[in-house]
Amino acid sequence: MLDAFEILTTSGVVLWSKCDASVGSHIVNDLINDIFIEEKARPQSSSVEIGAPVYKKEKYSLKWKRVKDFGLIFVAVYQSLLHLSWVDKLLDDIAAIFVDLYKDQLRSSRCRIVEYPFDKYFDKKIQELEDADGVIHNEGYDAIANGKKDFFVSSDNGGPPPPSVPSVPKEAQHQAAHTTVISDESTPSQSPNISRSSTPVLNPILTGKGGPGGRVSRRARKAAHANANLSSGEEGVRKAKASKAGGKRMRKWDADGLMDEDNGEILDYSAVAGSEDASAPTIEPVSQDSWGVKTAKGQFILKDLGDETHSISEKAKANASAGVVESSFNAISGLLRNIVGGKVLTDTDLESPLKAMEEHLLKKNVAREAAVRLCEGVRQELTGQKTGNFQSVDSVLRAAMESSLQKILTPTSSLDLLHEIQAITSPATKQQAPRPYVISIVGVNGVGKSTNLSKICFFLLQNNYRVLIAACDTFRSGAVEQLRVHARNLRELSARENVGDVELYEKGYGKDAANVARDAVNYAATNKFDVVLIDTAGRRHNDQRLMSSLEKFAKFANPDKIFMVGEALVGTDSVMQARNFNQAFGPGRNLDGFIISKCDTVGDMVGTLVSMVHATSIPIVFLGVGQHYGDLRGLSVPWAVGLLMK
Amino acid sequence: MGADLDWSSFRSIATNLLDGNPIAILVTVLFALGCPLLLHYLLYRKAAAPTSGSFLLLGPSGAGKTALFTLLESKSSRLEKSTKPTHISQTSSSTTINLSPTIPIASNRYRSINDPSLSEASKIPVTYHLRDTPGHGKLRELQGISQLRAMLHPKKSKSGMRGVIFVVDAASLSEQNEALRDAASYLHDVLLILQKRALNNGKPSSKIAAEVAVLVAANKQDLFTALPPGSVRDKLELEIDRIRKSRGKGLMDSSVNPGGSDEEDILGGDDGHGMFSFKSLAGEVGVQVDVIGGAVKSDKEADVGAGVRRWEEWLGMCL
Repeated sequence: MLDAFEILTTSGVVLWSKCDASVGSHIVNDLINDIFIEEKARPQSSSVEIGAPVYKKEKYSLKWKRVKDFGLIFVAVYQSLLHLSWVDKLLDDIAAIFVDLYKDQLRSSRCRIVEYPFDKYFDKKIQELEDADGVIHNEGYDAIANGKKDFFVSSDNGGPPPPSVPSVPKEAQHQAAHTTVISDESTPSQSPNISRSSTPVLNPILTGKGGPGGRVSRRARKAAHANANLSSGEEGVRKAKASKAGGKRMRKWDADGLMDEDNGEILDYSAVAGSEDASAPTIEPVSQDSWGVKTAKGQFILKDLGDETHSISEKAKANASAGVVESSFNAISGLLRNIVGGKVLTDTDLESPLKAMEEHLLKKNVAREAAVRLCEGVRQELTGQKTGNFQSVDSVLRAAMESSLQKILTPTSSLDLLHEIQAITSPATKQQAPRPYVISIVGVNGVGKSTNLSKICFFLLQNNYRVLIAACDTFRSGAVEQLRVHARNLRELSARENVGDVELYEKGYGKDAANVARDAVNYAATNKFDVVLIDTAGRRHNDQRLMSSLEKFAKFANPDKIFMVGEALVGTDSVMQARNFNQAFGPGRNLDGFIISKCDTVGDMVGTLVSMVHATSIPIVFLGVGQHYGDLRGLSVPWAVGLLMK
Repeated sequence: MGADLDWSSFRSIATNLLDGNPIAILVTVLFALGCPLLLHYLLYRKAAAPTSGSFLLLGPSGAGKTALFTLLESKSSRLEKSTKPTHISQTSSSTTINLSPTIPIASNRYRSINDPSLSEASKIPVTYHLRDTPGHGKLRELQGISQLRAMLHPKKSKSGMRGVIFVVDAASLSEQNEALRDAASYLHDVLLILQKRALNNGKPSSKIAAEVAVLVAANKQDLFTALPPGSVRDKLELEIDRIRKSRGKGLMDSSVNPGGSDEEDILGGDDGHGMFSFKSLAGEVGVQVDVIGGAVKSDKEADVGAGVRRWEEWLGMCL
């Protein structure tokens, strides 16, 4: 039921994987892209307290675990329909086992090309967890369970399965295929699966000398002894615990007369399979030695693996507890190491510097939400890392924060506006008809939408484009007049330098903005304009009524780029502004970039840049840095990071 | 005799050392023999096997950098295995690779074929460093470009930066699409850094500048839709020309103070007039760019890595 399990390094090489062919590699690629690099979808660690975070893509759910010492990522892929409770445990255990088994290879320089024969361990672990799960929950697994079981038996080198059983699941599958009853159907057909897959596992554990894995089976054995009238220990536990499954069966029989008889048959078979199990505990106390001999080579390996995997996970736990004892010694040497370097960072070391860093970011006008998240990311990155020679904790933290800020501000693909306009207005191929490039500008009231629009217009005019400004603020009085003044000034400027041409498209007040925008685009297309700049009315980002009209606007005008103007002055509110505007254009349409205005008024408190990008992971395209038409700049990431860290 | 040793004064120590005491003799002998050995291990061990050069793998995401990296690595370790699948990289990694002995290297080019030492020399494997970088847009500046700058830095480049391998996916570079634009702008940035370095070193054709060559590896030639190397070259040249033009006209960065000279920010020696081509770049600036096709994945199962043979030859010519 796991569709894939992969162990990969941060440098991108898959060290070991077990894959269904149907899971494309793009699923894992998207996980890396969205979670690790762009940090787009934040896993809600607060709401999902237990276990690893989940990432959903198409029909799959992905869970992962990182082992930072070795730069490893363990990824489990399964279908979202299934609620697999044991994936967290699987990830933890597999990570511990894999690292312990191969730590020498992983440390060596050849770690990327060494083969990792890990299949046996993995299969063993999965079987164990599934069995434990099968006893506790008896929920219906659908047809995948059947496919899965074959997958494991074929790859398994365990003892030969009981000869009578294999015919049964097939029959059950046939029945399932014929009757096409969905979820409840799987319950009876599953019972033979589990009893069958458990048979090879059960035996070695019984012969094994009290490994921790014996717990389940021992409990099962006890249960078998306690109610000896039941034929099978396994079956007994299941019946005792899973009364609700019985309830489902009852309902099923009522619904479908045909199924009645079949189910009875299957149950019979499973009981037969179970009784073979039951024979094991009765023999075991009499001749344990002879069992060990009798269980041949195939089973010996299984037992060996079971013990090994358990001892490894036990060791990992023991190590964790040993750390507490040594902590007093570490505290003393830690003080020295803080100066000399070579200290392994822990959460407590990082706590106070991180607090200071968070304060620093808040002073730089970064929204609290963004600051907390940045610090959390840095903390996770640094915990367990060793500082370099003569490197203090603060300097390590600073470097990590700098690179994390740089990562968040750097756009995934840099925007070259002129290049894109060129591609649209004069396409190289004949198939594409030239059309005007449409840019629209949105934002909260008074942030400088019209001003930045005219700055962009000036920039485009300098590059010899014919620009049409569409006045779609049909709401605030004076908005159209304001644009008319800008257009007149710009026309004069461009006429003086003999570059470009600008015109204003206006339809007065009170009209529907979306219709005006559409008309403007059509007008531009017929009159051979290169670029259309659409100015919109300012709106409060939490006003549902005004925001909802943006969706229609996006559909009618269909802009190539939608830029949102945000002030550098705004503080915590920037996160909500960015988020609400980003969602306002309906599904499938997002903002394309931010213009941060009034950057000259805030000095080095440019935290708004980080807050807005953090909230939406949409890049910043322009910065407004002054009162003149020419005061528009592209974002230089090192500059911004330098200001923030000053 | 050993009982009445007196180590209290310098004179008695000297006497003890010279009077034939077996312990003193032993200590002296050990010291005399051990010292040179220790010094040798401390000082010369690292320098004992110098690698002959380092290369940097750059290129957009999904071009096949990590795949090429692991392929070369597994080839050099003689573990003939099928290559491992790869995903998007987040960190860069580096390794030392033995060039396969069948590949001729440039430092042997003046030797006669009949030179008996040639066959001897080819038995010793030539090694080089290779560094893989992530190609994702967010990580380029942080790891790719900064790595390039660090390796080009004259003080740090002890191992000798010999070349940049810029991997592109030849199958995705069609007309006017995002992948081409992305690859070309990355290549533009890389070439700009190399050009700045070449021009700062004095004359454009100086010896130091000529050392760093660029290989544009047109990967995935095994696919049906892949463009041939010549076509990849044309497309990249055309696109870089467009980028160069629009960058020249674009807005200034927020960090730039007005009035600064932006003369050297234009790629190519002709200040942006005329068409850009790799040939003119090589002629006027001295940055050599070669476009060679190849494939990391090959159709035939038998010989893994046959598709990268020509890239390895290029590597050999740089060493």
